[in-house]
Amino acid sequence: MPNVNLFCFLASYLVAFSLDVARLRAQSAWSRWIAILFGAAGLLAQTLYLLLRSSLTHQPPLLSSAHDWLLVLAWLAVLTHLFVSLLDSTIASGLVVWPVVLLLVGASHFVTASTSPELDFHHEWKMLHASMLMLGTAAILFGFILSLLYLWQHRRLKHRQMLTSGLTLPSLERLERFNRWSILVSVPLLTFGVASGIGLSVMGKPDAAPTWTDPVVLGGSVMWLLMCGLFAWLLSGQRTPGRQVAWLTAWSCGFLLFMMVGLQVLTEVIQMPSLHGRDVTRRVPGNEPAPPAVR
Amino acid sequence: MNLLALHCTHQTTPLAIRERLAFASREQLARAYSELRRRFSESEAVILSTCNRVELYLAHPGDDAEQTRQQLAQFLSEFHDVPLDEFVGELRADSGSEAVWHLFAVISSLDSMVLGEPQIVSQVKEAYRAAEENGACGPLVHSLFQSAIRVSGRVRSETKLAEGRVSVASVAVGDFAKKIFDNFADKLVLIIGAGEMAEETLRYLKDEGVREIVVINRSPERAERLAREWSGRAEPWSDLDLWLGRADVIVSTTGAERPIVNAARFRQARAKSAGRTAFVLDLGAPRDFEPAVDKLDDVFLYDIDSLSRTCEDNRHARVREIEAARQIIADELAKFMAEFHRRASGDVVSRLMQDWHGVSKEELDRLFAKQPHLTARDREAIERTVERIVNKLLHPPLETLKHESREGTPHGLIDALKRLFRLEG
Repeated sequence: MPNVNLFCFLASYLVAFSLDVARLRAQSAWSRWIAILFGAAGLLAQTLYLLLRSSLTHQPPLLSSAHDWLLVLAWLAVLTHLFVSLLDSTIASGLVVWPVVLLLVGASHFVTASTSPELDFHHEWKMLHASMLMLGTAAILFGFILSLLYLWQHRRLKHRQMLTSGLTLPSLERLERFNRWSILVSVPLLTFGVASGIGLSVMGKPDAAPTWTDPVVLGGSVMWLLMCGLFAWLLSGQRTPGRQVAWLTAWSCGFLLFMMVGLQVLTEVIQMPSLHGRDVTRRVPGNEPAPPAVR
Repeated sequence: MNLLALHCTHQTTPLAIRERLAFASREQLARAYSELRRRFSESEAVILSTCNRVELYLAHPGDDAEQTRQQLAQFLSEFHDVPLDEFVGELRADSGSEAVWHLFAVISSLDSMVLGEPQIVSQVKEAYRAAEENGACGPLVHSLFQSAIRVSGRVRSETKLAEGRVSVASVAVGDFAKKIFDNFADKLVLIIGAGEMAEETLRYLKDEGVREIVVINRSPERAERLAREWSGRAEPWSDLDLWLGRADVIVSTTGAERPIVNAARFRQARAKSAGRTAFVLDLGAPRDFEPAVDKLDDVFLYDIDSLSRTCEDNRHARVREIEAARQIIADELAKFMAEFHRRASGDVVSRLMQDWHGVSKEELDRLFAKQPHLTARDREAIERTVERIVNKLLHPPLETLKHESREGTPHGLIDALKRLFRLEG
């Protein structure tokens, strides 16, 4: 397995972002392909990194640690961005996607990379719980990115600004449609995730730490409630100007992501006990120490 | 063969003259080709006639370009029944490589009224096709026009000469409306007034798939006419507010002396459709919509000034690409002229080789008749040897001819070879 660390793909993504920024000044065919190439190289490095960690922890990345969880979220965003860029290399989505990805990868450095020994129990249910929450959060992440693209396009059109030749943004109508879908999709996924989490805590070991006071669980519940509210509002049929919808989703999705990532970082920095962050299980015979991080 | 291009274009000649020299119909064009064949029986010709230019390209055997130019001008005068002295001063003529450069510049749209406009390529192709149909093309014209088409392809793909829209209507639809709406098939278009620019905008909107068009005009007759033309429907002026509320795309060009729609009226008209995006294109001068309308959420108001700035920027961007396009033309011109000169000497080369190999064959036949005991294998060996001797003897003069052809048609050398080896006969 190659010697891959966090810096490898962080640097690749940073170069891809810089090249995308440079495209705002002057457009050239080679720079956009080099940006895609750097993005793809970063994605490959990140994939290898996640695989390496998975093999060391003997856990899938979704279950191993908050560190891996954030990296999988970033990995999904990069994968989607590269796919869209290959379909339409003129699209300027990188200017919004890369900063979000860089923040996620950066934040992953500050959260725990240790795995919880509790993972041996109800493995399938925990996998379902983590996958649903991950996909729901990814949908929120896409909603956030789409809202930012919408606001950028809206501002550009209001101010009659032209993008650099060879750069495009999707139409407002398309962005609004995709944004709406991302919110509508996120809620059922989060609901499954939260429901399976409740089920797990009910079935949990008697000596485990209490789940309900876990800050990440609390944050996740608030996120779910907020998204349910947004979901109901979108389905209410009330016609609202697209810009207002975009602002609302940008703020709510941005706040939720900030809260989710922020809580993960916070539990690590101030050493707050959390089942989803630091190891809070009581030391019982048979509990092995977590494997070392590969960072 | 030599090349001559005789042309009058929008840059050199007033429309009043161009329209009298134009070849407007297919029948007229067929008659013109028939007359050209009669007058220039050994020549190849192509006539390019558009609203911006009348051009004649002639590949002719003579060396006197000036005489051919006069004959072509005479042809134009007699064919169109326009006295020569009324237009001869407006005509421009290019010969040889300059004629080729002119065609390459024309098809690359460097000579067009709107720099980089794409229609000229299809117009040149159509002219070439018509010449072929009328039996006016030959090897040189084929080569010239095929090279020209290749040049236009290179200019379009390797430069940004055709990038960015340069008319108000195309910028409005292509650069702005299409960035607001994804699909136009389900959008309602409201046309207020019936100006020319509204029609141009409608053409672009139709291309995007618009189906529902409503025309409102103070004159019901004019509204009816425009609606009929664009498969829409006319509505009375009194229903303006109703349709302002329903429309997704609004194009206004009334010619009113003061704005007909202010922010309050527009807000009220769209009260029932709040939250729906509206694209308003105000082509009126003075404007038909108050600028405050643009302050409403999800209303995108564009007037001529705001779009003209984009058109001007795009025009400047295209101008910056002229040098790159010229570079491609120069590159392709060099290739074409090298091929052209090689063709000019190619005739002499083939005849010289034909003569020498003919003589050697005659002598070999005579030898084989005298020496019947020679086996087939011996004969073949002798034939190969003689062929090699002929080729080796011809190699130095032909190499010299090829080398000289790179700089231009080596008329002196060709004449010398013709006279030395009596190739005329």
